[in-house]
Amino acid sequence: MRGRRWEALLWLGPSLALIAGVVFYPAVALVRASLGRYSITGVFQGFVGTENYTRLLEQPALPTVLANTAVWVAAVVGVTMVVSLGLAQLLNQAFPGRWLVRAALIVPWAASLIMTSKLFVWIYDYYFGALNHLLTSLGLLAQPVDWLGEDSTVMAAMIAVGIFVSLPFTTYVLLAGLAGIPGEVYEAARVDGASTWTAYRLVTLPLLKPALLVAVVLNIIYVFNSFPIVWTLNDRNPGFGHDTMITYMYKIAFKSALRDVGLAAALGVVNVALILVAVVVYLRTVRWEEAGA
Amino acid sequence: MRRDRLEATLRRLAGLLAVVAVAAALVAACDRGSSGGPSITVVIAEYSKDHTRPFWQALAEQYTKQGGGKVDLRIIDWNSIDQQVSTMIQNNQPPDVLNLNSFSSYARDGLLYPADDVLSPATKTDFLESFARGGQYKGTLYGLPILSSARAFFYNKDLFAKAGLAAPPKTWDELVQAAKKVQALGGGAIGYALPLGPEEAQAEWAIWMWNGGGDWKAGDAWAINSEANVRTLTFLADLANRHRVTQVNPGKSNRTDGAFQLFKDGKVGMVIGFSPLARQLDAERKVDYGVAEMPTSLAKPVTLGVEDYLMAFKKKDNREAVKKFLDLYYQPDNITKWITAEGFLPVTKSGLERMRADATLKPYLDALPNARLVPTTDPAWDRVKLDVQQNLGLAVQPGGNPKQVLDQLQRNAVAAAAAR
Repeated sequence: MRGRRWEALLWLGPSLALIAGVVFYPAVALVRASLGRYSITGVFQGFVGTENYTRLLEQPALPTVLANTAVWVAAVVGVTMVVSLGLAQLLNQAFPGRWLVRAALIVPWAASLIMTSKLFVWIYDYYFGALNHLLTSLGLLAQPVDWLGEDSTVMAAMIAVGIFVSLPFTTYVLLAGLAGIPGEVYEAARVDGASTWTAYRLVTLPLLKPALLVAVVLNIIYVFNSFPIVWTLNDRNPGFGHDTMITYMYKIAFKSALRDVGLAAALGVVNVALILVAVVVYLRTVRWEEAGA
Repeated sequence: MRRDRLEATLRRLAGLLAVVAVAAALVAACDRGSSGGPSITVVIAEYSKDHTRPFWQALAEQYTKQGGGKVDLRIIDWNSIDQQVSTMIQNNQPPDVLNLNSFSSYARDGLLYPADDVLSPATKTDFLESFARGGQYKGTLYGLPILSSARAFFYNKDLFAKAGLAAPPKTWDELVQAAKKVQALGGGAIGYALPLGPEEAQAEWAIWMWNGGGDWKAGDAWAINSEANVRTLTFLADLANRHRVTQVNPGKSNRTDGAFQLFKDGKVGMVIGFSPLARQLDAERKVDYGVAEMPTSLAKPVTLGVEDYLMAFKKKDNREAVKKFLDLYYQPDNITKWITAEGFLPVTKSGLERMRADATLKPYLDALPNARLVPTTDPAWDRVKLDVQQNLGLAVQPGGNPKQVLDQLQRNAVAAAAAR
């Protein structure tokens, strides 16, 4: 019997090594870096305890960045969920060409985020962008708008791109959930005299709860961690006024006058804690243990 | 029964083959180095997509053929080079030779060889005076000049003719008048394209600042928020918000995809450019442009000279290899070939002689003696530069406060100078 355990370890070995190397080691290195002081060149200069964390709390840009992140995650996840519910419902019906629409829906998800973001930077451009050209030709806009330059429109422009790239994944998860609902349930609801909207509200949504849960949790994590969209679209803007926690962390490490790897690592640890707390709170709120019962 | 045993044997054989293949791949992937000497890592910034890699690839091959070791050449674009070099150093894997636009922080951390250790005396004396001085940290040359550029004032001759302007402006008042006239032409015309976005805000600002009579420092102390500088930044904010003769949101537009692109499209009356822009304009032949001196509020116009550096990192047993590589680059044929291909300016006396023959470079070569450099010899500059890049644009936005922005930059500069 002893031999079986060693054999199991041998088979598990490569996966364990991979997890140790790709997940645990970077996490340990991150915490170690957050406890150290680094020169602007990257040279390690010794451990300083929790000094980086206290300095992080003193950063004047932190409240703005936190607020931006909250708005970014809430808006993208919220709107994506609502639109995806509709899209999944649509793609669940049989209509000619459905396979084409389903395939086309994959494209924003399959395309690299950097490419998509660069594309949108040019679409949103004040002088050369297709959006301004379209809206002014249609007469919907009197003057072109600097979508990525005006403080009032930058967040909305970035959120629109975030929604665009999140829709495919969410729609497919919900589609899978819808496919799992047996047809007899709808028959029973119709027999009981439920209207379409009541049936949707009282039958479909509760039965979709597991899929919704998965989609929301994963989306919160992906959107919070999303770097390319905010980085590329916000690239020309000075200051930290429209950064999220992730791009702020990158700027602290490499682009701002701080150039402080230790401080950025501290923010990295804080980010992980933040997203962990957010996900746990969400799951508690929807009482996930009762889902899928 | 027999088939099962055959399958089992075949499966075991396949497993064995897989293990052997992986082991062989791993062994092959290990860097053995050639017999000529230790292999060196050379990191070069990507100045252009067409010229940088071919030249340095050929140079590396020449180096290996002449008996040097293998060269691990990495061409990295400007947007990511700071981050990648920082990561290399954090991992204790610094390159052997690095090309960057700053050097003094690395010198201060004791990471670099002084020039005397890695350059032949002939090469060292060939550097132009001002550029050699611009590479010194505490009196020793660490940052070896690799190439330079000088900024010049570009104007669109067609737009000027349409606006009835005979000559490019020489003073700031003339500049405002000219910009207003060009802006009044309508049809999307822009008077002066002002790029103060995070890409190179410090370069654009430096030129205006000097021509306004201010400077980064007064003696040894930082003086970013001097009265002259506040006046100058207010002037730029007025260009954007009061006279409205710039492109939209100048604090949020960059040079390459913003101001230069608009000028290349023929939409802009005036912009501050440099020789690579001139080469692109000549190639595209869309804009009839002229090159002039900077408009100034002083007696004599000042322009910005920029030098980039090569530096050699101290590592075990790499001094000879690095010296051989650097000497190869600094041979007058090699260095001049690359600088000419990229459209930049020479940093050596021999290079200057050879490039004088090129007529298109005349305005820049003439400006070179009057060009001032940013204070790259001060390690605090590395932080100040980033601070200016990230924050200066806020001052020229509607509702921006130039004095407040400069005061903040000054505070950060003083703090950076005081810190270790």
